[in-house]
Amino acid sequence: MGKSEREEFEKAIIVERLAKNFEITEKKSGLIGSLQTLIVPTKKTVRALKSISFSISQGELIGFIGPNGAGKTTTLKILSGLLYPSSGFVQVLGFDPWVRRPEFLKQISLVMGQKNQLWWDLPAIDTFELNKAIYEIPDNKFKENLEELTTILEVKKLLNTQVRRLSLGQRMRLELVAALLHKPKVLFLDEPTIGLDVVAQQKVRDFIFDYNRRFKATIMLTSHNMDDLIDLAKRVIVVYKGEILFDGDLKELVGQFAREKIIKVYLDKPADIKKFSEIGKVKKYDYPQAIIRVPREASAVAASELLQNFPVADLTIEEEPIEDIIRRVFKGETVKKKS
Amino acid sequence: MNKYLQVFKISFQQEFAYPLSFVMWRVRNVLQIFVVFFLWDTVFSFRESVLFGYDRDRILTYVFGLIFIKAFVLSARAQDVAGEIARGEIINYLLKPVNYFKYWLTRDISSKTLNLIFAVGEFILLYLILKPPFYFQTNPVQITLFLISIGLAILTYFLLLFIVNAIPFWAPEMGWGGHFLVTVILVEFLSGSLFPLDILPVNIQNVLSFTPFPYIIFFPLQVYLGKVTGILLFKGIVVAIFWIIVLWFFMNWVWSKGFKAYQAYGR
Amino acid sequence: MDVRRLFYYFKIWLFMSKNSFLMVLNQKSVLLIFLIGKVLRFLFFIAFLFFLVSGAENLAGYNSTQSIFFFLSFMIIDTTSQFFFREVYRFRTYVVTGDFDLILAKPMSALFRVLMGGADVIDLITLPPLYAATSYVGNLLSPTPFQVFIYLLLLLTGLLITTAFHIIVISFGIITLEVDHSIMIYRDITAMGRFPIDIYKEPLKGILTYFIPVAIMMTFPAKAFMGLVNFQGLLSAIVIGGVFMFVALRFWNFALKKYTSASS
Repeated sequence: MGKSEREEFEKAIIVERLAKNFEITEKKSGLIGSLQTLIVPTKKTVRALKSISFSISQGELIGFIGPNGAGKTTTLKILSGLLYPSSGFVQVLGFDPWVRRPEFLKQISLVMGQKNQLWWDLPAIDTFELNKAIYEIPDNKFKENLEELTTILEVKKLLNTQVRRLSLGQRMRLELVAALLHKPKVLFLDEPTIGLDVVAQQKVRDFIFDYNRRFKATIMLTSHNMDDLIDLAKRVIVVYKGEILFDGDLKELVGQFAREKIIKVYLDKPADIKKFSEIGKVKKYDYPQAIIRVPREASAVAASELLQNFPVADLTIEEEPIEDIIRRVFKGETVKKKS
Repeated sequence: MNKYLQVFKISFQQEFAYPLSFVMWRVRNVLQIFVVFFLWDTVFSFRESVLFGYDRDRILTYVFGLIFIKAFVLSARAQDVAGEIARGEIINYLLKPVNYFKYWLTRDISSKTLNLIFAVGEFILLYLILKPPFYFQTNPVQITLFLISIGLAILTYFLLLFIVNAIPFWAPEMGWGGHFLVTVILVEFLSGSLFPLDILPVNIQNVLSFTPFPYIIFFPLQVYLGKVTGILLFKGIVVAIFWIIVLWFFMNWVWSKGFKAYQAYGR
Repeated sequence: MDVRRLFYYFKIWLFMSKNSFLMVLNQKSVLLIFLIGKVLRFLFFIAFLFFLVSGAENLAGYNSTQSIFFFLSFMIIDTTSQFFFREVYRFRTYVVTGDFDLILAKPMSALFRVLMGGADVIDLITLPPLYAATSYVGNLLSPTPFQVFIYLLLLLTGLLITTAFHIIVISFGIITLEVDHSIMIYRDITAMGRFPIDIYKEPLKGILTYFIPVAIMMTFPAKAFMGLVNFQGLLSAIVIGGVFMFVALRFWNFALKKYTSASS
């Protein structure tokens, strides 16, 4: 494939019918059990990804969400060439990731929240210089990128401090510098804010947003942190038990997954809470305001009943907050709704 | 006393928590014996006479005796103490109503018991494979003194370990380095666990006999083999006891200094 | 592998070694204590060997100078490989913490990184005196230039086999998460090569020649130096070295494939 052809690719990532199975050996408890495992291992196949398809355009920032064990990290690992797929087609920047060609690896980067590439006992600058050699970054580019990244991430003063003396948040920002010195076109971020305090989280988040816009980098982000997703991602992909449940605009997610609407009423006179609960779940009652959750389909009926039977001064119907929906997605509660 | 019995039991079970680790440690012991055995077997296959005061039977008994003596004396858990001090975990024990030294001595004895059980198995296995000639000591006096000298050896080694363990009070990163120097290098060579010390020139042997090292391995085996008797044996036991007393006072001194240094750092 | 690539890896090796030296130099007292330990161990062993062989008049037919030369040749292989492959001792941590994933995502050979990423500065200090001592003792045995050449060739073969062993150890580590004990067992086995392999009896001698070729790694070079290895022996050493390397690399690929198909 010619270079010019490759540049023509508008899609940075293409995934078609990707499946990944793991063989795991079941462990039995007790001495006899572990002996049994040793002699006659019981193998079990776990289907981590069941034929998923999606594609991502260059410069897109997408959030990849789902509960633990849904297959998020597995997908990122396949896309960065760390795992090979059981079946299906995967292409990143026109390369087959699994071949792990240096030309490919020089254009991507993988950051995992709790894994380090910085040399623990040395200042971060030593790791950066090593990466400069590994990624063959020219001197002037290296200086320029380092200056830029350390300025945005506010870590200039930390470059000569031993990594083990840094706080987790400082370390994470330096990990990001290490991962981005070679200006990757595609960036995979696996839980980048895990374990950080709120201020540090915000710093990392601002940076990711900024980096995406500045360099038109394609970014795929998994996170347990709702704020990460709401702040950063326009488009989200929801995975659950190895399948894609939703792929689209974050706002549409609400339409698809919201099961309830929220009715807020302001009362003229105090009323009996018990009567409210015949209509829906009372979330809060603090006179004069009452907040009631009702099933989506029943919202119109519920509203008219409220207006008829209670001394209502004012009434609004609202969508379920996005945080609640995502929280349910993380818990794996959400079941696909007919659309 | 009952609580140390509990410590013994728990420690014994703890050894089984990492069975692979334990088995590998035993495999390494056997491999090391192999090397020493073949070395001496070769040296003596070229000559039938006595060399360095050993005949073939006695030298191969020395090598086989190493299996037991090492399980008795060198199997110890107390080297973990250095790590506990370096990580500051020692505080947890100091808050408990146990005597720290007795606690670790108990753990050591438990480790020795387990290793000894395996040593018996290995001994039988190696005996069947290598079929060495074996020297049986029949004199009850020598056997009694042999057992006493093993007891002294265990105490000497334990005290040495505890003195080295105190290094991290001042320099937390030096814990393993200190053990490397004292228990891996000095004890390995100067205690006779690789070579019997009587291959050395007499004046070097004399100097060594006034250090604690030969009493850890070399001396008990000499007693078993009947190579030291009478006044020399008596002298050996006196020197060993002398060292235990010296090391005991030195250890107490080092540890009390160590605790002070420790508190001063406020770690 | 073209020259440019070789240069690339050499440059990276220099960088990694610089980092690893800096790390150790941060703790000078630790460096000193290990240096003293290693030097003491070396001197003790030489002394024991000297007294043993002069007392016994010979060891499997070799005099004390020859026995010491066997030991020095063992030390060259052992210390040189430790100098290069010290990182193997840290490999388990990389797998357990998952940092190995980030190593795999780099545009360079992951094997190169985990094998040679942490050259040992202590061995760098001990190697020059060791080479000098070996040359000195070797000179006492007055070899021909051809014997010296074959000696060096076989030393390289020995280093090839140690490399293969280290690759096998880390591959095994990927599969079982067990590195520390296997490397120590490897070292105990090779420690049999401190003495000329002739002291061992069959079947151990056979095992040490063909199955775990300690004899080829450590005894053959010194024997060649004394003119005791024929052309056939030389050839079989090189062939066995090649086979070992081939097997090691296959095993590494197998382990990597296993790792990359396993769950996180």
